Amino acid sequence: MSLTRRIFLRNSALAVVGTAAVPTFLTRAAFGAADAGTRNKRLVVIFQRGAADGLNIVVPHGEPQYYAMRPNINIPRNAVIDLNGFFGLHPSLSAFQPLWQQGHLAIVHAAGSPDTTRSHFDAQDFMETGTPGVKVTEDGWLNRSLRDLPPAEQKSAFRAIALGPSLPRILSGSEPAVAMNNINDFSVGGRNPRPSPAALAFQAMYDQSSDSMLHGTGEETFDAVKMLKVADPGKYTPAAGANYPRGRFADGLRQLAQLIKANLGVQVAFADIGGWDHHVNEGSTEGQLANVLTDFSQSLAAFWTDLGDLAEDTVVITMSEFGRTARENGNRGTDHGHANVMFVLGGPVKGGRVYGRWPGLDQSQLYEGRDLALTTDFRQVIGEAIARHMGNRNLAAVFPGFDNQPAKYLRYLG
Amino acid sequence: MRSKLGKPALFLLCLSLACAAPQLIAKKKEKAADPRSNEQSPNDQKHAVQALNRLTFGPRPGDVQQVMAMGVDPWIDLQLHPEKIPDNAIGTRLAAFRTLHMSGKEIAEEFPDNQMIKQVMDGKRPMPSDPAKRAVYQVQMARLQEKQQEKQAQKLLRKENQQQAIAPVAASTQASDTAKTAEELAAAAAASSGDANGRAPSNLADSNSMSVDPTSASDGKAPPNAMNDSVTTLPTQAKAIPIDDAEARRREDRLYADLKIQSLIDLPPDQRYKKVISMSPDEQVAFADSLRGGKGQDFLEGMNPKERETLLAMNNPQGLVAEELVQAKLLRAIYSDRQLEEVMTDFWFNHFNVFAGKGPERLFLTNYEQDVIRPHALGKFEDLLVATAKSPAMLFYLDNWLSVGPNSMRALGIPDRPPMRPYGPYGRPRRFPPPNPNAKRKSNSGLNENYGRELLELHTLSVNGGYSQRDVTEVAKVFTGWTIEKPNDGGGFKYEPRMHEPGPKFVLGHRIKPKGEGEGREVLHMLATSPQTAHFISLKLAQRFVSDDPPPALVDRMAKAFEKKKGDIREVLTTLFHSPEFWSDNTYRAKVKTPLEFVASAVRATGADVEDAMPLARQIANMGMPLYGAQPPTGYSMKAETWVSSSALLNRMNFALGLTAGKVRGVKVDMAQLAGTSPGPMDAALSLSTLEAKLLADDVSQQTHDSIMAQMQAPAKDTSPEPQDKSQDRPQRKPADVPRPPDASTIAGLLLGSPEFQRR
Repeated sequence: MSLTRRIFLRNSALAVVGTAAVPTFLTRAAFGAADAGTRNKRLVVIFQRGAADGLNIVVPHGEPQYYAMRPNINIPRNAVIDLNGFFGLHPSLSAFQPLWQQGHLAIVHAAGSPDTTRSHFDAQDFMETGTPGVKVTEDGWLNRSLRDLPPAEQKSAFRAIALGPSLPRILSGSEPAVAMNNINDFSVGGRNPRPSPAALAFQAMYDQSSDSMLHGTGEETFDAVKMLKVADPGKYTPAAGANYPRGRFADGLRQLAQLIKANLGVQVAFADIGGWDHHVNEGSTEGQLANVLTDFSQSLAAFWTDLGDLAEDTVVITMSEFGRTARENGNRGTDHGHANVMFVLGGPVKGGRVYGRWPGLDQSQLYEGRDLALTTDFRQVIGEAIARHMGNRNLAAVFPGFDNQPAKYLRYLG
Repeated sequence: MRSKLGKPALFLLCLSLACAAPQLIAKKKEKAADPRSNEQSPNDQKHAVQALNRLTFGPRPGDVQQVMAMGVDPWIDLQLHPEKIPDNAIGTRLAAFRTLHMSGKEIAEEFPDNQMIKQVMDGKRPMPSDPAKRAVYQVQMARLQEKQQEKQAQKLLRKENQQQAIAPVAASTQASDTAKTAEELAAAAAASSGDANGRAPSNLADSNSMSVDPTSASDGKAPPNAMNDSVTTLPTQAKAIPIDDAEARRREDRLYADLKIQSLIDLPPDQRYKKVISMSPDEQVAFADSLRGGKGQDFLEGMNPKERETLLAMNNPQGLVAEELVQAKLLRAIYSDRQLEEVMTDFWFNHFNVFAGKGPERLFLTNYEQDVIRPHALGKFEDLLVATAKSPAMLFYLDNWLSVGPNSMRALGIPDRPPMRPYGPYGRPRRFPPPNPNAKRKSNSGLNENYGRELLELHTLSVNGGYSQRDVTEVAKVFTGWTIEKPNDGGGFKYEPRMHEPGPKFVLGHRIKPKGEGEGREVLHMLATSPQTAHFISLKLAQRFVSDDPPPALVDRMAKAFEKKKGDIREVLTTLFHSPEFWSDNTYRAKVKTPLEFVASAVRATGADVEDAMPLARQIANMGMPLYGAQPPTGYSMKAETWVSSSALLNRMNFALGLTAGKVRGVKVDMAQLAGTSPGPMDAALSLSTLEAKLLADDVSQQTHDSIMAQMQAPAKDTSPEPQDKSQDRPQRKPADVPRPPDASTIAGLLLGSPEFQRR
């Protein structure tokens, strides 16, 4: 597999870098461009690290228990953005409203990882490895999902990309993946179109290094650097109406949109956004949660707008390690809970609907008497996207030990 | 204050060191069973390198030879006893940072945050009389007022837009929301400052024209909409014109201030400073603005630390505290001779992680590292655990300071003391209402599990430590009442019995008898002496010092030592450092450096002189490891997979090239000297081998060596990299078209960016 990729690169990208002027159509074709005929499907995964409070994000405002359990931090009925008479969006998610109305945004409530841990670290790990409860899994499901994709796909150094300084567990594994903090800094010894001598020396060192870990990453890195120099994604500025807010999350998505628009062959991408762990003063319509929701929704909405037509082939799924207690705690915050809400956004998504079974918030319906119960395993949600959108039917390899029958899909994809 | 030892004390220290060394060397000779008994083997150097790689932030030029001369074992023993190592050099480097020796209270007062400034503006706190502090406060107040006005104007605009959209609904909710807000504000005011309900007359003449918006005082606590309307609408409109006036005046002031800086700059430093302190508040604001410009550094030249800090604090009081902490951490990592103590301080800070970005946490960080972590870094684990449990840094970060027992006096609304008579002094009703069964829901009180959970999961037993959700809740009850006295003022630990949950608790199958604060001590003792904790701490230490997946047999032996020696960290480390696993070939360079370790080791290896460590800190942050910036309680990973990524590798290569080329601002290097070459033409092969010896102890792979040689033999081109720090405008020595031979800087940069240097 990696042999194919490397041969491809040696023969195309490398050659392209070596010669001074190459017609654009050639480089485009070299990178498996959309124009070449194969439509490139993409899956973007967003992780809300810190356990987002799903009950205050997609609010069950038709549930009287909700207001009883959250006397200080509830979202008042008249403040929610009503979706279907029972659920409503937190008012800070107003950027999602048009996406919902246009039918691009779907919601899965009471979803998440079935493992009962309330440890941030373990729960995130489980959701990234895709094997809840199994600690020895080393690679991530997003990486595994690339293994059995239809062979027609061109392999690019940018196939799997994480926005950020380090490669998260979800993307680590046998398939090459690149972590990128900032596309403008993504080179060695300056941004000249030709590689600097120092860059060549580094490349030789890492190419031949017997240090397997550094050798592998080094090789992927230099492949990516070369492709990036040719494609020059920096020239793609945000589309009109794509108003990214300021901040790390929006910066990441803006750059991801650039990579996608530059036709670099992105198939799976990952970005995360922190700041959800509100044990104290979570806030209601305004406050800590409201602020991070504004950042979250405006960034995603801008990303969606920015992609334009390319959004048709893109599915974005959001997740968080677990939900939070149904009741507010003593400090107008919430403690670690269980089930949560997931958003699915995309061209092929049958949006404007809340999927999954709502378990209710009565005392007897709560998990361990305190948390929203789980009715949809996150692997069911993701499995459907991998199988039906990405075209990888070997879900047993992506989520070992989980029975991902097509019959169990929520069928949120059209 | 360790750094300010008097001369006699220093002399004694040196003397004791001189006496101790021969003994230690003698001790080594007795150890025939040592895995490295073959004294003069070529392995000696490798062992010295291994010891330096693991116990320090990387070898400096000459370190390997020194350790070999002293003997590896005596050197390790010395590192395990930092008190025997005189460390005066670092004292000189840190002398400029006064906040390192301040308490949270002093920091809060001298480097006020907005909360503090608001209190002064509200008259809840007097304006400091000291002219230096006063200057800092005055500028902050003016800035805050400016911000508040902007915010109000924006809010007003937003409100107007919203009201057009939702006009019919608003009316019905307004009444109830306003009621809630009043209650909230009262509660917040009571919580933060005891009394002071009435607003004292402002002692700031200027501020009268800009009334303070009470809603922004509860910033981030989500004041409901209705409140904003009722208070802000009218005043903002009324003030619309004066703002413009004020803006024009400010611009003019700034212009004058620029001129004034120019005129003051020729004065001696102390007079310069005095002039600023005696300026009028308006002038000071304008001065602070213009200090941000290019002339800032010139103006501060020659001033003493207090003068410098005061003037810098006029612009960013909290940033200054955070910067001094970061500077100190890096300077210590790079220059302290007590390297193991620094490594362990870093290790424990990360184990008991707290996050600088959370509210007033930064007030506590300096004290946390200095007085909570470092003194116990090689001491008893239980002492360290108790110290962290009681530290305002941890109490705040994991929210325990707010945790209230559901049946505590506070939660039930029971007054402080049983009332002696129905009425308070002067016949007025007492301040506390009688117990009210409904008070529980309304008051901001109840259990918070955050600390209880992380104490079990991350600090002691580990996630597999055999505890349940019930244990978490019970531990949370045990620690109710462990709180902070006035956190926003940088206050200290306080046990508040009124917050404590009464009755016995059941933790891990043990019954904890009710005894107030003592319950927490009992639980901490139980946890510190648990075999699970011994194992978990040993595992983490082995992961730091041996490999990402350390041999279980070694961890077991360390855990045994932990239990036998009652959590003595020095003893556990001694077991580790004398284990065959630590010295095995598999362990050599088995660890990938974290960004902090990489940057610190690169600077150490080059023998660079760091005048300003902030550019280094920014590089480390770029690599994904902002110092004091790990938000989750897990801290940063020590494992390779976290730190090996494309982005990180590129950052490392670029940093290596930039550092050796002298392009990292604030860091002076001399690579030609290190390579032993004169600035002119040089013998490339000789330079390379010299640098290989100095930077990587000669342990360089053939591939790396050949790659660098190949580059040097290639047609000479300009090899200097782009500047690291775009803000610096130092002229580049870049004879673009003149071919020049590869220089020592590039060779050194390539070596520091090589795969070998990424490991330790």
